[in-house]
Amino acid sequence: MLYKIRHVTEYLYSEEVSHCYNLAHMIPRTSLRQRAIMTNIQVEPGTSYTSKREDYFGNLAYHFEIIRPHKKLVIIANSEVDTGPQHTDLRLDLGLTCGDALVMLQDARSADIRLAREFLHDSPLVRASAALREYALPSFEANRPLLSAVAELTRRIYAEFKYSPESTTVSTPLSEVLATKKGVCQDFAHLQIGCLRSLGFPAKYVSGYIETLPPPGQEKLTGVDATHAWLSVYSPTEGWFEFDPTNGCLAGEQHIITAWGRDYLDVTPLKGVIFGGGKAPKLNIAVDVTRQPGN
Amino acid sequence: MTIDVTDQTRQSMLYPRREGIKDEVFGADGSIKPHWQYLLSSLETLGEDAFLDRVHKAQRILRDDGATYNIYGDRPGKDNSWQLDLVPAVISSQEWAEVEAGLLERAELFNLLLKDIYGPRELIRHGVIPGDALFCHPGFLRPCHGIQTPGEHEVILHAVDLMRTQHGELCVLNDRIQSPSGAGYALENRMVMSRVLPSLFRDSHVHRLAIFFQRLRSKLTSLAPNQDQPRIVILTPGPRNETYFEHAYLANYMGLHLVQSQDLVVNNGYVWMKSLDGLSRVDVILRRVDDWYCDPVELRGDSQLGVPHLLEVARSGRVVIVNPLGCGILESPIFLKYLPEISKNLLGRELRLASVDTYWCGDEQDLAKVKAKFTSLVIKPVYRGTGEHSCVVGNLPVERQQKLMAKILARPQDYVAQPMISPTRIPAYGRDGLQPRGAILRTYAVAGDHSYSVMPGGLTRVAQQSGEQVISNQRGAKSKDTWIVASEPERGAKEWESKDVAPVKEADVISLPSRVVENLFWMGRYAERAEASLRIVRTLFVILHGEDPPSPTCRRILLEMLTRVTTTYPGFLQPETDLFNAPESELLRVILDPNSPGSICANLNAMLYCADQTQELLSSDTLRVINDIRDGINDLEQLLDAYGPAPEEALDPLVTALMALSGLSQESMVRGVGWRFMDIGRRLERAMQTSAVIQSLLVPEVNERDQSNIIQALLLMLEALISYRRRYRARMGVQSCLDLVMMDDTNPRSILYQLNLLDQHIRALPRANENKHQLSIEARNSLEAVSVVRLSLLTELSQRQDGKRQALQTHIQKVTQLLGNISLAITDKYFDHRETSQQLVNSQWEGK
Repeated sequence: MLYKIRHVTEYLYSEEVSHCYNLAHMIPRTSLRQRAIMTNIQVEPGTSYTSKREDYFGNLAYHFEIIRPHKKLVIIANSEVDTGPQHTDLRLDLGLTCGDALVMLQDARSADIRLAREFLHDSPLVRASAALREYALPSFEANRPLLSAVAELTRRIYAEFKYSPESTTVSTPLSEVLATKKGVCQDFAHLQIGCLRSLGFPAKYVSGYIETLPPPGQEKLTGVDATHAWLSVYSPTEGWFEFDPTNGCLAGEQHIITAWGRDYLDVTPLKGVIFGGGKAPKLNIAVDVTRQPGN
Repeated sequence: MTIDVTDQTRQSMLYPRREGIKDEVFGADGSIKPHWQYLLSSLETLGEDAFLDRVHKAQRILRDDGATYNIYGDRPGKDNSWQLDLVPAVISSQEWAEVEAGLLERAELFNLLLKDIYGPRELIRHGVIPGDALFCHPGFLRPCHGIQTPGEHEVILHAVDLMRTQHGELCVLNDRIQSPSGAGYALENRMVMSRVLPSLFRDSHVHRLAIFFQRLRSKLTSLAPNQDQPRIVILTPGPRNETYFEHAYLANYMGLHLVQSQDLVVNNGYVWMKSLDGLSRVDVILRRVDDWYCDPVELRGDSQLGVPHLLEVARSGRVVIVNPLGCGILESPIFLKYLPEISKNLLGRELRLASVDTYWCGDEQDLAKVKAKFTSLVIKPVYRGTGEHSCVVGNLPVERQQKLMAKILARPQDYVAQPMISPTRIPAYGRDGLQPRGAILRTYAVAGDHSYSVMPGGLTRVAQQSGEQVISNQRGAKSKDTWIVASEPERGAKEWESKDVAPVKEADVISLPSRVVENLFWMGRYAERAEASLRIVRTLFVILHGEDPPSPTCRRILLEMLTRVTTTYPGFLQPETDLFNAPESELLRVILDPNSPGSICANLNAMLYCADQTQELLSSDTLRVINDIRDGINDLEQLLDAYGPAPEEALDPLVTALMALSGLSQESMVRGVGWRFMDIGRRLERAMQTSAVIQSLLVPEVNERDQSNIIQALLLMLEALISYRRRYRARMGVQSCLDLVMMDDTNPRSILYQLNLLDQHIRALPRANENKHQLSIEARNSLEAVSVVRLSLLTELSQRQDGKRQALQTHIQKVTQLLGNISLAITDKYFDHRETSQQLVNSQWEGK
């Protein structure tokens, strides 16, 4: 599917910022099922330095420096991306079993597995715990195919957790999300990653966009789309598979990947250091994902 | 020199062999090894008394050089002098040649290891190192992936700690690559040794250390992306860091700028040093700040020691950081376990130099061994950044052993275990003469164009107790010089002399970091303020305890003046009359209370803080005086007690030291920008202090007798009584007094004298080119101040009205206000105004 994405981020400061240094993860990367055709990023006010590079995880990192006073920072990331579904002949019920997968992960006999194990360990926002393990365990019988188990866990989170935008922040611990059963996409992605790692399966955090469709017969409004987050799990013989617990499904063509990492902190859309700026900057974000005619 | 050597002092400098102790000095047959013979027989001949003389001389030199080692958690002011044992550790050049080969190989290996870790990670892919050793380690900094240092080497400096095992071989305990410390201390130790034991040093044919620093200097120069007069800086966390002395010392020795992170800024994709004449580009940073703290954008977000976007500049190759960011991971002791395999893989051979046996608890088989041998092991955290220390299991009570084991089992990948090594002993001098002690040697390798070279020697640290198991400076170990003694005269010492070191450009001399200039300014102000207060308090003691006690009015005016001038409110201004009858406690508070911002102690401490910040610019004589002042503060309370009825004498040493300091800045400081700012600080402060004293003492109207006493006190405080008497005889008049202390431009303590100098300084400061003839704010104010004082009409100023001299008060207030304007204008214009930075982190989720 061909998409045009426009992602506008606007910071409004209560006091003047004299200069700032930032790192953005806002440019869609290329992956097995996704090709970035065109990307560009504009920053207001004018920058005195910019650079684009591939980071440790292969994501596109965009650096910029502004050395002029400003009270408003606007970043507009435009891109054109061609996405496809995950493996077309996906048969979740026939693959490697949980038990076998665990043994292979433990033995780590191939370079692929050795590198995948990086996503098995605790990361700053996701720490394995007995509670997470306990929550996930019923879906993971040893002789059940791993991907089928993960799919069930995804559906359970979708069914049992309430989507509730005001209830959590970046610093809400997973234990609280698990206890209150409330959160947003980032929480659910972290939660499922935490569950998988607690059981011994590598999982990574995927950030990106999802296309939303208007109710039948209505025009799509602008600015209604959003950034989104889901996860990818590793199966030793089959590779990486993306699941979306917020929507209770496998990630598909409508899931557009920006970047992946161990958790949100590896791929924060915008971070940096500002000088001045006063308290509590106001943040506005508008995302438009538009389906393009064509193939 | 003839030394009277008694048998007793000879005895204690003997070093007999002790049964049952493995000692490096003695061969298998019990005889002293050849390379120890000359040293030990010389010490014996010297005798203990003469040796102690040398010890004291060494302590003086170390103190005068400002050699300190700060121990974390100590209260400020505690003696933190660098500890040096004058008995060197001796290694024969034959043995050293082998060790050297092993160290060179090791440095090469760690260099390849670093390249692999932040590059292809082949060692992980092929299973040579388990990925968990890297992926779980907080020192593995993913943002540092792909950074490249110019030239063949990523690791520029590699340090190791070596210990001699019971078999007599040197074995590596750990590697230090983050920002290896100690090389500067080794150099300082060497300087001291060659001064206090010159003939012993000369006759021992010790390999020189200087060549190592030359190599480091030229390597740093060669790394610069901009080869036209590259600017190289040492980045220090600041004076509170444990090894700050060494940062300043090396900066001076190698001719580098010493900067703190706030002196640096990233602009247009380059790193710049903020200096008085604007921004100067920085090419190479020798860092003493741990990598994790270096950049709040990509590394630790809350770091105050970093420079935002530094990592990105390094990544783009526009600045080179030594050692590169991310290399802290190499200090993980997990690698010690895998080093033989890594070596076979990367170098194709086994390592020559063994490391201490290391078990990694993250490995199942190793963990089983650790459990089995637990009580005989040392447990170390794999990451030093957590504040956790190594732990000798056998020394713990059973209960804590169990707790430790539980901690290990909870996160096994975070710990390694090593067997206790009982080191072979070497002689160390202590209370009981020469005693056998365990020691650790830290030595260094520096990258050259194609290969590494090793420092011929290093920093030896020696245990204080006979059975001590952990030898570390943080735990109070003493240091030793390390002598590699050559049987033949040393070659190669000339090698580097032929390579010319680029002369420092004139522009470079001026471009001091603004922070340093600001600290010099404040150093001048605080020194002057402390001196003025000391003189006032001293005079007050003399007058209050004099044979002709002042009248109650006089007393009140004098004491209130003290509170006003020092701003130690409420002091004598509080409505409690008893203080005037028994002022001693409040006077002592004004001197000693470090928490009262205007007290003498507080001003001196502030002055010392500024001196620490500018240490690399101060001459060794100045450092000595600074030390005297530091000691003076520590001794003050006792001294005041001891002098009892005449406490003014207790203040004399400090007054003298402060006079010496101002004398040195006049006589020994180059008349550069730094000196100018320090003198501006001094002059401003002295003019302000004198104004404040005049206003407090001469404005109130009193009877003639009191007036005469007060004028006399004022002249005494301002060091003008003798000149006054010569000029005006005994009559104490307000007009003649003002003439001398306010308007006389030949009196170096008068207000006008300060203003004239200030005016000169201000005209000489660097300034922008536009409107060259328009006066700056500070110049306008100083011109006005000079005019106001010069146009004073003394008859008018001495007029009394409603119980006070209103005209004088207005007049002095005007001068004070102009002085304040000058200070403000200079601060605004020349000093760096650090804005508070904050992380741009959105705490709200922004997705769906």
